[in-house]
Order: sequence, then C-alpha cells, then structure tokens
Amino acid sequence: MNTLKLVSKNLLRRKGRFIFTLLGITIGMAAFVALLSLSGSMQSEIRKQAAMLGANLIITPKNWCAYDQISILTGESLPESLQYEVLEKVASVDGVTAIPYLTQKTAIQNSPVLVTGMHPQETLEFKEWEIAEGSFFSAQDERAVVLGSSIANSFNLQVGDTLTIRGAQFPVIAILQATGGNDDIAVYLPLAVVQEIYEVGNYISFIAAKVDDLAQMESYEAAILDVANVAVTSDKQLLSTVLSMLGTVNMTLQLIAGVALIAAAFGIINTMMAAIYERRREIGILRAIGAKRGSIFRIFLLESGVYGLLGGLLGVVLGFVTSLIAAPLISGGDMSVLLKGATPQASLDATIVLTAIAFSLVISVAAGMYPAWKAAKLTPVEAISYE
Amino acid sequence: MNRAIIKTENLEKIYGKSAVKTHALKGVDMEIPAGSLSCIIGTSGHGKSTLLHMIGGLDKPTSGSVLIDGVAISELTDSQLSELRAQKIGFVFQFFNLLQNLTALENIQAAMLFGSVPQAQQRAKALELLELVGLSDKADAKPTELSGGQQQRVSIARALANDPEILLMDEPTGNLDSESEEEVLSQIFKIHKAGKTIVIVTHNRELAEKAEMIFEIQDGKIKT
Repeated sequence: MNTLKLVSKNLLRRKGRFIFTLLGITIGMAAFVALLSLSGSMQSEIRKQAAMLGANLIITPKNWCAYDQISILTGESLPESLQYEVLEKVASVDGVTAIPYLTQKTAIQNSPVLVTGMHPQETLEFKEWEIAEGSFFSAQDERAVVLGSSIANSFNLQVGDTLTIRGAQFPVIAILQATGGNDDIAVYLPLAVVQEIYEVGNYISFIAAKVDDLAQMESYEAAILDVANVAVTSDKQLLSTVLSMLGTVNMTLQLIAGVALIAAAFGIINTMMAAIYERRREIGILRAIGAKRGSIFRIFLLESGVYGLLGGLLGVVLGFVTSLIAAPLISGGDMSVLLKGATPQASLDATIVLTAIAFSLVISVAAGMYPAWKAAKLTPVEAISYE
Repeated sequence: MNRAIIKTENLEKIYGKSAVKTHALKGVDMEIPAGSLSCIIGTSGHGKSTLLHMIGGLDKPTSGSVLIDGVAISELTDSQLSELRAQKIGFVFQFFNLLQNLTALENIQAAMLFGSVPQAQQRAKALELLELVGLSDKADAKPTELSGGQQQRVSIARALANDPEILLMDEPTGNLDSESEEEVLSQIFKIHKAGKTIVIVTHNRELAEKAEMIFEIQDGKIKT
C-alpha cells in the first residue's frame, strides 16, 4: 500500500462522481487548449499572409478602419476607394514600385469568390507567380481569367473552361501554381476589365508598393504622403495592427475559457468537500491508525491533483480534436486559406501541452487546498465519533 | 508487577466551552502494567470511551496527564501523537471501522503505510496477520463481504499491523452475536498471551471478569 494507491481507490469508489468532476475540468481545459491552438495557428497564418503579400507599403484611403486592413491580409473584397490617378502619383516617387488592386466578389456554383483586378504583367513580376497551366494574360485588357490554384481545384475548373462573371463570359486561360496564401483563392482579371464589369469607373481598392531601399522606409512614406492624400502603412505596421486585434479577440476567448476552468475548479471544491463530509469517519480512522495531519492533507490534495492531471491530459486530447474539427469549419472549408494552415498539428506544440497540463494541475491543486485543509484540521476523535 | 505502560494522573476532561459543560472525567488516576489484560467497565455515558480516547491520544485532556511508557502524551505535538498511535497503539472499535473501499488485506496494509513497515514487506506481513486471526482465505474480500465477527477480526489484525505494545479496544464484541463474540474473544486472549497490553472498554461484566485488572468508571471517576 502506498499513498497513490490509496488515492486511486478513494477516487474510484464513486465512479459517477469521479467521471462528472473529471469531465468538468476536461471540458474547461479542452476549450482552453482549442482556443490556444487555433489562435496560435491564426497568428502564424497571418504572419505568413503578410509575408506573401510581397509589399513593403500598403496605400489605402485615409478613412479605412483596421477591419479593412485585416481584409487585405485575409483576402476579402474591399471597397473601390482610390482614384486611379493616385496610383500614378505613388508610382512617380523615386524608388517605389506600385501595383493596384481592385477586389470584388462574384459567385461560382453559388459560392462567393474573390475577383481581383490588376495589371497583369506588373503583378506577375511583383508577386513572382508561376503558371501551373496555360498562358498568362498577353494584353492589359484581355477579356479572360486566370485562376488561383484552390479555385481551380475546388470548382474543378481547367484551362479552356468558361467562367461567367456579372453576366459576361470569360475563358480560363491559365491556372497559377499554388502559393499557400490568399492568391490561391482569387480569380484574376485585368484591372480595366474588372472596372468595366463592376462599373466602378477608374477606381481601385488599394495599392501595394515595394521600395528599393528598406532602410529609407520613412522617407518613402513621407514622399508618398507629399504627392497623394492617402494613408500609408508599412507591412510591419499592418501585421502588428492585425495581430493586436487578433490578440484582443484571443484574450476575450481565453477569458471565456478561463471562466469555464474556474467553474470546473469549483466543481472540484464541491466534490472534495462532499467527500470530506462523507469520509469524515474514515479520516478519523486514518488518524487513529497513525496518519498525521500532513498525510491527510496530502491524500486529499493528491485526489484533487489527479483530477487536474487527468483533466489536463484529456483536455489536451479533446481540445486537439476540437480544433481539428473547428479549424475547417471556421475557415469555411477549402475556399478560405486564412485558416488553411490553422491545423492543430501546426500549433499544438509541446509548450501548449505542458502549459495546459501545468495550468490544469495548478488550478486543481489550488481548488483542493481548502478541502484538504478542512480534512486535515479534523481532530481524530471528532472525526471518528461522526455518525 | 511489570512496569506501568499506561498511567493517568488526575485526568480531567470537560466538554463544551459555553455555560453548558459536560464533566466527562473527574480526576482519573490509574496504572496499567505492561502485558496485562485490563477492562474498563461502566454504564453508557459515564466516560469509558472518553478515557480510552485520552489513553490513545485521540483526544486531549482538559487537565492532568496520560503517560505512555513514561512519556506525557499531552505534551506531544499532533505529529508526535500520530507517530505514537502508529507505532505503539492499536485501536479496535465497536463498529469495526474498516475502510469500506479496501479489501481486508489492504485495510491492514493501510495501517502499515503510516507505520514503519517497508512497502515490500507489507503484503507478506498483512497475510501473516490475517492467518493469525484465521482469515487468510478472506484477504481479497471487501468489508461488506465479511460477517461482523470476521470484520472485527480484520480490525484486530489491522491493530496489530505495526506490532504495537498496546491494544485499545472499545466494545470489541458490542456489535456481535454470541458465536462471533466467542471467535473474537479467543483471538483477543491469544494476542494477550503473546505479550500485548490490552485495554478493553466494555459494559459486559462476563468479559470483564476474565481480565486481570478491572477499572469501574462511574460518573467520570474510577470506583475504588
């Protein structure tokens, strides 16, 4: 006989109560782990998207909010807000290469799809795309479409097929190599064609720019602001804004998971307090046969600790499975690559596992302190005389 | 006469802190020699069990002292008292007080957990004790699978787990039928012959007459 064996026998004497108390901490931990796992994936995905944007500076209208900036990274459609002349002004700054984007929405087989209008040759070079199949646009106003690889796969489209956008038919002339980013989920047309079919005049959504000398970023920004009445954001600022917003959302979600964990901790306190009242006489017996206060305290604390350890382990597994199921649901299936990389395998690292188990243990042991102290405080005679 | 292994000096116990107080023990002086079989008798509510709890260090006296082998146990810390109970004293209760979720063998091993028996020797020693009380075939039985007499014999085996010098028994046959009572008493006498000091609290005069020393307690005092 050793203390651990005694503890396991105590815990398993009421299997129903053991399972339900364990479920409380398991579910709380699973929520915590799933959120950590998903938020870790989302952060790394957003960093990846920012890196793949290929731009050092983003030029947008002055009135754009942070949500619009997120949309640049997540590949959402954006309002047409800048006049084309702004692009010419920005491009006139020495050492700056600027390309326009006009992003709109269409539908393929009733699913929403992003349509991007751009300058074909400049964008091809800017983004360093490679063509998987077919030939890229040969003219700035060619009435044809090039597909991102996910679009082609999801809708089983091939070069030679025809796509209808706003009532007009366009032949598919090329499919891009997969990039792993948002470029895979868009349909590309020349800017002039998108402006025409969406009837947006000479407007564009935003401008992406590269600079020749990264060390002179601030002077480029100042030069652009001199020539145009726009907002200029560096890729690092954009990333930091998006991550900070994501951080706030994550914090909120983790607080909710924290509330679930606190509720589970009270479940442990409740179970252990009930156990003390039921086992009062048994505590007296143990004291009579030589158990010290410390031994009683240790036995009850270990019982709480087992809830924490098992709850933490099961919570990690359940949280992992939940994030596996939740990631594609949140991402909306194959069509969004924002969370495509947000698989728990990518983010459920040893740090999350160890943090979760340690956190679960600490919460459970803390929850078990008061009941264990109450149990240890009983005098042998008051415990043994309890009917 | 052997040395006094248990001695009480002017032992007093008052329960309650408010105006209503119960004077359970009123200046009890007694000496119990090592290796003896003694009985504390008296009717219910006169302080027999309180006296046994004081001797066993389960409760502290209001005044006076209890000496076990010359050591005043009221001066010991709670931890030292626990060690004393684990090493020197074995308890047998009227309602057996076995741990219901453990088998007979595990109940004995649980006592060894707080004593000095190394874990590797616990099983063999517990089986020996079960054999001593004639229950070697019930090692894996839970208390609910045993009769009252068998449970009390397991309880005796548990009391012997750490080879204590003193066994304190509170109405050990009080909850048994006559056949089980005989079984249990024969075990008690057997253990006494092996040299243990046994103190039995009982209201059974027949049992008391078999003891070497009888202390009759009435209204918290030893009748002389």
